[in-house]
Amino acid sequence: MTTVGKRVLGLAAALVMGLAACSSGGGGGGGQGQAGQSLRMWTFKKSHADALNKAAAQFKAKTGISVTVEAVTPDDVFVSKVQSAAQTNGLPDVLEVHASGEDFEMGSSGLLQDLAADVTGDWKQRLLPSTRESGVLTQKKIDSVAADSPIKNGKAGQRFSVPFTAGAFGIVYANKDKLRAAGLDPDTPPKSWEEFLKALEATTGKSQGGLSLGLKISQTGFNWIYQPLAFAYLGKERFHALFGKGTTQGFASPDGVKTLETYAKLTPYWMPGTATLGIDEADIAFAQGKSAFDVGGTFTLAFLAQNGLSPDKVLAFPIPPSAEGTHKQISMAPLALTGLGVTATTQNREAAVKWIDWVTSPEGAGMVAKESLDLPSTDLGTQAEALLGKDLAALQKYFTGPPESTYEAADDSFFPSDWDQVKPGDLTVRLTPLKELDPQQAGTELDKVVASMWKSTK
Amino acid sequence: MSTTTVELPAQRLREQPPARARAARWRRRLVGWAFVAPAVALFLLMGAYTIASGFLLSFAKWNGFTPTWRWVGLGNYADLLYKDPSLAADLRRAAGNTAQVMVATPLLTVAVSLPLAVMLNSVTRLRAVLRSVYFLPYVTSGIAVYYAWRYVLAPDGAINLLLGSLGLGSLRQLQGFLGNPDTALPTLIVVLVWSSVPVATLLYLSGLQAIDRGIIEAAHIDGAGSWHVLRRIIWPLLRPITVAIVLLGVRDALHGFQIFLITTNGGPGGHTDVLGLMAYRLAFMKGLAPSLGHASALGWLLFAGAVLLTLANARLLRRVQ
Repeated sequence: MTTVGKRVLGLAAALVMGLAACSSGGGGGGGQGQAGQSLRMWTFKKSHADALNKAAAQFKAKTGISVTVEAVTPDDVFVSKVQSAAQTNGLPDVLEVHASGEDFEMGSSGLLQDLAADVTGDWKQRLLPSTRESGVLTQKKIDSVAADSPIKNGKAGQRFSVPFTAGAFGIVYANKDKLRAAGLDPDTPPKSWEEFLKALEATTGKSQGGLSLGLKISQTGFNWIYQPLAFAYLGKERFHALFGKGTTQGFASPDGVKTLETYAKLTPYWMPGTATLGIDEADIAFAQGKSAFDVGGTFTLAFLAQNGLSPDKVLAFPIPPSAEGTHKQISMAPLALTGLGVTATTQNREAAVKWIDWVTSPEGAGMVAKESLDLPSTDLGTQAEALLGKDLAALQKYFTGPPESTYEAADDSFFPSDWDQVKPGDLTVRLTPLKELDPQQAGTELDKVVASMWKSTK
Repeated sequence: MSTTTVELPAQRLREQPPARARAARWRRRLVGWAFVAPAVALFLLMGAYTIASGFLLSFAKWNGFTPTWRWVGLGNYADLLYKDPSLAADLRRAAGNTAQVMVATPLLTVAVSLPLAVMLNSVTRLRAVLRSVYFLPYVTSGIAVYYAWRYVLAPDGAINLLLGSLGLGSLRQLQGFLGNPDTALPTLIVVLVWSSVPVATLLYLSGLQAIDRGIIEAAHIDGAGSWHVLRRIIWPLLRPITVAIVLLGVRDALHGFQIFLITTNGGPGGHTDVLGLMAYRLAFMKGLAPSLGHASALGWLLFAGAVLLTLANARLLRRVQ
């Protein structure tokens, strides 16, 4: 080899070594979780980044380990950034990911480490019971996914994330001032779907409505309103049968049509233009007083507060069940919404685990919850109201109820593995507010969509 | 008397010994290569590599994370075109909407920009000011403008307000112009026309100014009115520009999706879903599903469409010339 060749090779080797050193995701580390180390973390929620950075200061005071949290929003940009960082070895040490889905896919793709051996005993026990196993891959999950899903590469029992925030979808928020103005009791939620419709009628004016929901993301109507409503109307088994493979009890059956008819009764009460609004825009419209009701999740309360609507001005309750249905009461099983994972490329595994351990402890989780107004997966016990405020803490009373009438949004075991929620979302938007389809037509189209997804399932 | 001889480089080379001449030639070639090398390297890295990997990806399943791709041959193309009932149905719907945009946008652009250019051409005062005013939509076009249009078209937006105050309340859209499935796509076509008219007008204006005034004066002397001059003389002479405008519009309609993403996200109920948006959704909005191959395959199908359009463009231009 010539001298020049040797020099070029030497330079290339030095560059590779340098790049490897730079991409270690943080401070120098012997992986011992010692003082002086620094960690990087990415989240897709701005409110979480702010709260976590404040908590990180406390964590540094305790351990000497510094953590810098960066928000990468919105969700699709976050995923793209993680994808490109994975290709260029530029991942941070810790990621906040969507629980029970994104964590499995990233973990099975080799991006997140298995934390099963770390999250045991006390750590596991301090999490809300319904969220404890979130982040743990099960054989049932592996079997249920499509053949080309990266989850097929995972092993049952691996834990790719630790539950961080929890909550439920299908929570209705009502503006107390508007309820008062319409002559309604601002402190008593409607007991049934029919009462809810009456309240909507009373609060819907000629040019301003009733109910806002970000139907530009069409699946919100289907996931957040129709599904809990249909579950309570039919009961668990008949609700699951709507989505069955080769089912005769699908959406076009009398059961299905009845639920779609019930849902379509919302048609006169939508806020004008709700089909053109994103989720945040619909929440903002509600916060600005353009609608009397808004549907979201437990996490919506924090966003409303950020946009100037004080939580004490809001009445919150789950989607009320129809008086004609099977269950007259409904409770929403809290599910882990996000989890924290340690990246496979981190040089600071121990420090990263230590950070996740602390931020999911009652002290750390409480601090983050107070700042972000987001319910944690950690059981805060008697501290909940002090940390979250009485309004958000009060939502927790809807989390417990008889198992048969508890709606579990996290349960996707009855869907085709190629389930694409946008398609039923689009169809239910065409049912209401667009009125392009009647319930029978919508049922027939929904059955076609579900059948095609079962057909696509490999 | 002294004479000076100028020695030309080639002459100098010929007179040099062959080995030295070859070395000098190589040195000069190396200098040339050194100048083009950065651009070539950049193209190889950013162009050829990405195009090649994108093309290969269209024959694979990948979610952007897994270390390996799963090769499926033409499976992604088959899924999109007929095999996957769910994807194929989406593709057909998006193709139908795209076809409407591809036909309506260029035709309306021509219908608006040609008369506008003729009027601007006949104006003697304030021509520069008017040209700038008409060019504004192009300069400010983009994401900010699409957001602005969303507010203008909203139920409580400026257009509904204007219609109400003009006594045309029956024309107001209570769900907003983008919230009504009957008006959403036509409204977006109008916005697309609004943003493409400026360039088309400028192209026509440059074409009009290139026409020999003598021909038009001769036609007027022979008794032709303005309409006949426009129809029989100006229009045929501007046909190559029209073809270029139409094909540019068609190509933009085939690939463009930003306006649909920002204003409606393909809604309401899928009524404004187009092929470009579908490709974007498959690539970036499917979470971590292995749909990047489908997105790439759809991209290459769109590329094939664009190539066909380019060939049609070349053929049409030859015919009109």
